[in-house]
Amino acid sequence: MPSDQTLSADVVIVGSGVAGSSIANELVRAGLSVIVLEAGPRVDRQHFVENFRNLENKPSYQGPFPSTPWAPHPPNQRSPNKYLHTTGPDAEAYQQAYLRVVGGTTWHWAGCAWRYLPSDFELKTRYGQGRDWALSYDDLEPFYYQAEVMMGVCGPDPSVEDLGSPRKQPYPMEALPLSYAGEQFRKLITEKTPWRVVHEPQARNTRPYDGRPTCEGHNNCMPICPIGAMYNGSYSVYHAEAAGAKFIPNAVVYRIERDAANKKVTAVHYYDPDKGSHRVSGKYFVIAAHCIETAKLLLLSADEQSPNGVANSSGHVGRNMMDHTGVQVTFISGDKALWPGRGPLETNVIDNFRDGTWRDERGAYLVHMVDDNQVDFATQLAIAKGYVGRELEEQIRYLASHTVRLFSHNEALPDPENRLTLSRTEKDALGIPHPQVYYKLPQYTVRSCDHTRSVFRQLIHLMHGTDEEWTPGYFPQDHPSGSTIMGADPKDSVVDGHCRTHDHENLFIASSSVFSTVGTGNITLTVAAIALRVADTLKKELLHG
Amino acid sequence: MTQERRSLGADSWRASPNAIRLNQSTRLMRRDVLLSGIGALAAWGGMGATPVLADTVPAPVQDPGVARFMDVSHCLTDRTELDPAVGAALYAGMVQATPERAAQVASLYELKATKRLITAAELAKAAEKADKSLKDAIHDIMVGWYRGVAGGKVVVYRSALMFDITKDAIYPKTYAAGGPFYWTSKPPEVARPTGLPALSPSPFVVEPT
Repeated sequence: MPSDQTLSADVVIVGSGVAGSSIANELVRAGLSVIVLEAGPRVDRQHFVENFRNLENKPSYQGPFPSTPWAPHPPNQRSPNKYLHTTGPDAEAYQQAYLRVVGGTTWHWAGCAWRYLPSDFELKTRYGQGRDWALSYDDLEPFYYQAEVMMGVCGPDPSVEDLGSPRKQPYPMEALPLSYAGEQFRKLITEKTPWRVVHEPQARNTRPYDGRPTCEGHNNCMPICPIGAMYNGSYSVYHAEAAGAKFIPNAVVYRIERDAANKKVTAVHYYDPDKGSHRVSGKYFVIAAHCIETAKLLLLSADEQSPNGVANSSGHVGRNMMDHTGVQVTFISGDKALWPGRGPLETNVIDNFRDGTWRDERGAYLVHMVDDNQVDFATQLAIAKGYVGRELEEQIRYLASHTVRLFSHNEALPDPENRLTLSRTEKDALGIPHPQVYYKLPQYTVRSCDHTRSVFRQLIHLMHGTDEEWTPGYFPQDHPSGSTIMGADPKDSVVDGHCRTHDHENLFIASSSVFSTVGTGNITLTVAAIALRVADTLKKELLHG
Repeated sequence: MTQERRSLGADSWRASPNAIRLNQSTRLMRRDVLLSGIGALAAWGGMGATPVLADTVPAPVQDPGVARFMDVSHCLTDRTELDPAVGAALYAGMVQATPERAAQVASLYELKATKRLITAAELAKAAEKADKSLKDAIHDIMVGWYRGVAGGKVVVYRSALMFDITKDAIYPKTYAAGGPFYWTSKPPEVARPTGLPALSPSPFVVEPT
């Protein structure tokens, strides 16, 4: 196939998820030309909804999203895995799920839109652990709000329920009402424990917003909201395209070309599915390709100028891999019927463990009481117990109305030994190596998870729970971060506080890969805020010199 | 499933977003099965070959296995009414995945008739006592009707009995119809059941995500 070598734009972005598409939208609306290269295909909602309905293993979030041979993503979270190869003592705890499609992994997120706490950016200064970010909460606050408006985030009134992240503006939409199950859980926690349950901020409509409908509670935010009441990256793609941004799907970037001085990026090169190579030049470049794929691309671009990979003079590309590796338990409540699964998937959180003086010794965490339809789980459990006929039906009703699932997001620390490298043996259809990750859970996180287990046991006791099923080991939360870590010192970090690579002045990274620490809240809102801040920097430099 | 996806060439992957559909032959087949009722066995056999369209399906084949399956299913669900089209599809899927199920369903049918067993619990207990392997067949039948799954594939989703018996409280995922914020209302209370299991317990394995 003849290769097109004439593509060019002011800004070339690799990756079309929340980060890449929102930057594209901001820049194109400011009058700049933008090309976005996406490794995976263009997809649409209804096929994924249909795939979900045809899926036997309904909890498999990756299941409805088969990948393409030229842009594989993990088929599931099993270990060993056919794409993401994890090793080390806690290999299974780092079996992340993500998608390579237009719009990115938020096709199957749950819409949890937390701001980080001010302390999350200053862990080293405040608690002597991990690192500080090279930006502060105050630097990011306006962009958090911009991200909330872009996504359409609903959340509680801070004068009634302060979530610990100071706000200059109210949430764009009122908080989502808790489900009956969530409300009962909240009452229990309020009355019987020193803790509290808060309304989780959600990128989910509590009124019609941005041309999308109000949430109808299909309880399928993960893996696919059937009506688009929840934001995902595809909406920023549609907005950016409407304003003139060019998105090229099935464009697998494999090389980042630099000038003779190795100071500026001059072009990126991508393969189409037939391995025809294309060159795309530009003035600025943003890699926004997910934590794992971003580090993979930088390492893959190693050449004589940069033998350890692009932007990697520090040697930290691919290191400091983090997640919210947590703990999960399912049990049968002995109290009144809750019927979880009526309404959206994740709406309530115990937030008492997000910060405290003990953070000098163990990681912070938050707890979700997952509001998940348990009918299928109940049916499988009742059949395994040996019930048939009328007795089976009674059991299904009882178990479906009394099953409770709790899980936690526990804070990791950046450890350079937790490292992503390119597989030497496994390659995709284009000959590009698969990613592999060595992972050993930091003791800081292990101690945090131990604390969580003790809290979960107290909750099970309070709810007169039986039939405890603990997920073995640790539970990956699909929040990978840290692989191109941010810092003030180019010797031990990859990007500065503006997400500009220390090594290449016109190369930026917009991804959770820049996180210096990982806090406790779901990472997407912070990814979006950082991306919008990158867009702001680019606009200033390109439009005002 | 994996094998079917791989068999799609790069051209078909790229042809349209439709190409990324999961498990195309299963869906085609399921529709055919439901449209053609008991004649579905012919369609099931056509899996992976030329798609069989409903209006070209020959006259229904009266497989006596399906009739036995329906009789045993009525007993094991303690129900007098079950959808025969769904039953034919479940039976076909089950036997295709595990051929010995045909003989086991026949054994359950014989056992029920000769011992004049009426309830699900009676039949299940007698079956496990007579032949331990019949427990697996009963599990498959329960999974079929209550989860809508046969041979590891979804035959029906919304119509699975597990959703029928919980429909006063909850919707199948992706099919909510209560309107915004329906979830704040109080769902029905459920008394702790007193019935006992009829079969010996089996390991409960939660599939990894």
